Amino acid sequence: MIKMADSILILCTRAPYGTEEGFAGLRLSLAMLASGLVGRSSVLLVGDGTLNAVATQEPTAIGMPSNAEAISDLADFEGEVFVVEEDLKSRVGDVPVLEGVKKVTWDQARTIIKDHALVTTF
Amino acid sequence: MPKTLLIHLRSGSMMNMDSNCAVKLMSAALDKGYNVRLFGYGEGVTVIKEGQDPKRFPNVGNELKKLAERGATVVVCGTCCAARGIHRGEEIQGSEIGSLTNHLSKFVSEADRMITFAR
Repeated sequence: MIKMADSILILCTRAPYGTEEGFAGLRLSLAMLASGLVGRSSVLLVGDGTLNAVATQEPTAIGMPSNAEAISDLADFEGEVFVVEEDLKSRVGDVPVLEGVKKVTWDQARTIIKDHALVTTF
Repeated sequence: MPKTLLIHLRSGSMMNMDSNCAVKLMSAALDKGYNVRLFGYGEGVTVIKEGQDPKRFPNVGNELKKLAERGATVVVCGTCCAARGIHRGEEIQGSEIGSLTNHLSKFVSEADRMITFAR
């Protein structure tokens, strides 16, 4: 028998600010935690989605809501945010990431994906 | 106890074939005895707008109405609706404008499987 879902992983694959996908994924994860109905809601940043973790992002210049704030809000609810380090490095080099974001390898990322009952991609 | 399938739809009703594929999958799952739930997020909320008239293309709104009559649950994100100018009272019969915290979180916690349609 399949167990009911007690955890969800939001896989963010797109860069912040070009589309609403990154922000939408982060807000969805926050809503899952805020509801209290889903035990674990985590975010894994991969590919272009790793750019959501860049500490120096400054979206006020383009008048968009801040994905950095959305990640900070997740930390307030003890939501985990992971970034695949090799994907980030291949795009912008060795840059500082936002507080609370954990750098992981692809091997670790595979384990994180396995550890969640449901996965949805943004 | 029947299994529950959750469809997470983020493509709009006329963007591509995603919404058509979603309703076909929902219909097949109902045929097999699943509890079927759809949650529309982002552009996916447009599928519940009453009055869709796509002429030569399949009418996703009408298909969802039929699926709701067969027992499917159809809910979309209210914040995403507001952003797109879709208001309560404009949704197709059998659907609901809801929220992430009240609806999707419950659907996620009760789902056996979740399938995302998005591009």
